[in-house]
Amino acid sequence: MTDPNPNRPIPETAVEVSSIDFYYGKTKALDDITLDIPKNQITSLIGPSGCGKTTFIRCLNRMNDLIEGAQLTRGTIRISGVDIYDKRVDVIELRKKVGMVFQKSNPFPMSIYENIAYGLRMQSIRKKTIIDEAVERSLRNAALWNEVKDRLHSNALGLSGGQQQRLCIARALAIEPTIMLMDEPCSALDPIATARVEELLFNLKENYTIVIVTHSMQQAARLSDHTAFFYLGKLEEFGDTSKLFMNPGNPQTEAYISGRFG
Amino acid sequence: MESNSNKESSIKDILSPSPKFWGIRTEQWIKVFFFGNAWMSILILFLIAVFLFREGASFFSLRNGSHQLYRRAGLEFVEEFKLTQEHFTSIYRYLNEVRTNQINILREKGMSFQEAQEKCVEIEDYAYSFYDLSVRLGELTSELSDFVTTFRDQFLSNENLRDYQQTLVEAGKVEEAEAVQIDPVDFELIRTLLIEQREVYNETTTALVEDISSFRKTFPELPSGETQTIHSRFIQETDAFIASIPEHAKRLQEWDPDKPIGWSSSFTSFLFGRNWVTNSFWQDWYGFLPLLTGSLLVSAIALTIAIPVGVFAAIYVNQVAPSREQKIVKPCIEFISAVPSVVLGFFGIAVLSELLKTISGWPGLDWLPFFPITERLNAFTAGCLLALMAIPTIFTLAEDALDMVPRAHIEASYSMGATRLQTIIHIVLPSALSGIISAILLGFGRVIGETMVVLLCAGNRIIIPDISEGLGVMVEPVHTMTGIIAQEMGEVERGSIHYRALFVLGMFLFVISLTINGIAQRIVKRVKTTNL
Ligand SMILES: Nc1ncnc2c1ncn2[C@@H]1O[C@H](COP(=O)(O)OP(=O)(O)OP(=O)(O)O)[C@@H](O)[C@H]1O
Ligand SMILES: [Mg+2]
Repeated sequence: MTDPNPNRPIPETAVEVSSIDFYYGKTKALDDITLDIPKNQITSLIGPSGCGKTTFIRCLNRMNDLIEGAQLTRGTIRISGVDIYDKRVDVIELRKKVGMVFQKSNPFPMSIYENIAYGLRMQSIRKKTIIDEAVERSLRNAALWNEVKDRLHSNALGLSGGQQQRLCIARALAIEPTIMLMDEPCSALDPIATARVEELLFNLKENYTIVIVTHSMQQAARLSDHTAFFYLGKLEEFGDTSKLFMNPGNPQTEAYISGRFG
Repeated sequence: MESNSNKESSIKDILSPSPKFWGIRTEQWIKVFFFGNAWMSILILFLIAVFLFREGASFFSLRNGSHQLYRRAGLEFVEEFKLTQEHFTSIYRYLNEVRTNQINILREKGMSFQEAQEKCVEIEDYAYSFYDLSVRLGELTSELSDFVTTFRDQFLSNENLRDYQQTLVEAGKVEEAEAVQIDPVDFELIRTLLIEQREVYNETTTALVEDISSFRKTFPELPSGETQTIHSRFIQETDAFIASIPEHAKRLQEWDPDKPIGWSSSFTSFLFGRNWVTNSFWQDWYGFLPLLTGSLLVSAIALTIAIPVGVFAAIYVNQVAPSREQKIVKPCIEFISAVPSVVLGFFGIAVLSELLKTISGWPGLDWLPFFPITERLNAFTAGCLLALMAIPTIFTLAEDALDMVPRAHIEASYSMGATRLQTIIHIVLPSALSGIISAILLGFGRVIGETMVVLLCAGNRIIIPDISEGLGVMVEPVHTMTGIIAQEMGEVERGSIHYRALFVLGMFLFVISLTINGIAQRIVKRVKTTNL
């Protein structure tokens, strides 16, 4: 658990979200969200199902562009000071910087090796040594290397659900983003694998800014430096994890984390 | 209390039997109804297959009989005379062509037609006197042809008379039946007479060869000045003719009217026969090859156009177009398949073929291998229209296949910084590939079974497309399996060889379509199981 030292230096901001509204067609999914995601720390998003957590993180790498009729109607999102919804922004480059692990694991129907090499190949990296090296590093980081090193070239769909999820993490790591968005990465994992992924995230913190959506209060409390509580498309509370869990400022938050609803 | 009584009545509902009709419960009636519908269609398919095979099967034995008669009555023997004669005539035609060309060359140089013709009098005379060399052979050939066909026809009418007699006997009119005069064909006579002709053939051709040899030494000076090359070509042609004579003589020598026709020959001659000749006074041939190649050529042209258009349109609509555009484009493409094929054919004749011919005549375009087009209706015209019919099939099915690509994979690809094109090439297409292939196969099935358009627009010339023309093969008129069935079925005599031959064609078509559909379905099935 993070040290609740009030004298800690104020962390640098990786993502600056200011008063965004987001719509799916005519339905509002996010309502006036403002929040600063600190750099090289873990921020967790919690909240009841359907409150807009996935929607929110998909705004950060503009995956919502792919959904028809979905749009950000107000506010800005800045990453390293750049408004990512600016017309001049290259979405492809943005997505290379902001990696994502999806709520449902979705490995490609290819070999394990090719799954991880995919992102690199799309950047026209052809050199086998580079790719080999990246594959091994990412798999090690995702705590999967030992399990699959002897069958890198067999189909990824032959892996177990938990292994598939870790493969997706490894795949996202391979392109070396600076920000990692993880949508319930542990939902399909057993406690041991979960612990490994948490450990992994802890280690990754040095180099990555991590945003993780989770339904597990314990996980959020264990893992993250900051926690945001979403409710019905609104950001109800955001702050230091320890503070939010010990001493929630909002009755909704308290009700949620104490399990009285959700 | 209230709720209790409710419960009881609902239990009673379960126990009470549902209404019956003629002692069978409603659900069973419904089941029988669906069962009946499903099996009815299977039964009909089966009946079609049986019917086709039954009508078609006796083609092979009938054709064997006809071939046997062709041999016994001596048509096979006289064929060699005819072939010799035809070969000779083709050289004569060459000389005539030379003359026409000469006249054209002279006219291009500014001479009047009259003058040009006068200049070419020498070659004209030369051609005529060349033709005269074969007068003896020609007479002989037509005499013999008349002779053998008379016998053949007599044999056929005897068969008819015998049938007639049979019916009379069956009707109990024995006296009348006995009164029917049947004069049997004397095949021995034919044999002896024809065998004598072997010597006659040898004599005649020897004389002909001698005549040619001395004749070709003199060759007129041509006004265009190409005398040398044309003369040597002429010598080549005649050499080929002379060289072919021993072969004919050998076959005459080997001719044996009683040698049976092998069974396999009726299959091979159907499958690999290069001629489809019907209603001929000489001999009918039912060769599958020109029709098969015609069908394949037209289909190939159609698919070359329809595959890229259909598949790319599907990719565009499914992966690129916003949904508003999707809602316009999809129904429009699908609507094409609602246009009646006869209307398309009409459009092909009235608009497309004219347009192609006009365009092909543009001076800037003659570098294209097959321009200008000589025949207005040809494989290409039909292929274009068939493409139009295959596009909706390929488009719709390919689009379905693309739609089945899991969205999660596409999103994963984008999330790793892949562009749209990369995602389509590396994720979408491989995933949808088998579906697209089966879409193409079903498009092929659609095209090869289509009738009206090819009948109206393919030119209907029964000839194997000449591949040596290169791409020019595309603008040759062809005939197709479907076209010929539609064209000839109405006129044939029921039960005749010709009628049965058409059924055999239908059988082949049925088998081809069934195979294509079968393969496509297997592919689709495989996709479904792997995507689970
Ligand atoms: N593609 C979409 N089109 C329309 N509405 C959507 C779409 N995706 C999500 N929504 C709606 O937006 C709201 C927020 O959804 P979102 O997926 O962000 O919730 P979530 O917090 O991630 O929930 P969960 O914890 O169940 O994953 C929901 O009401 C959902 O129905
Ligand atoms: Mg979600």
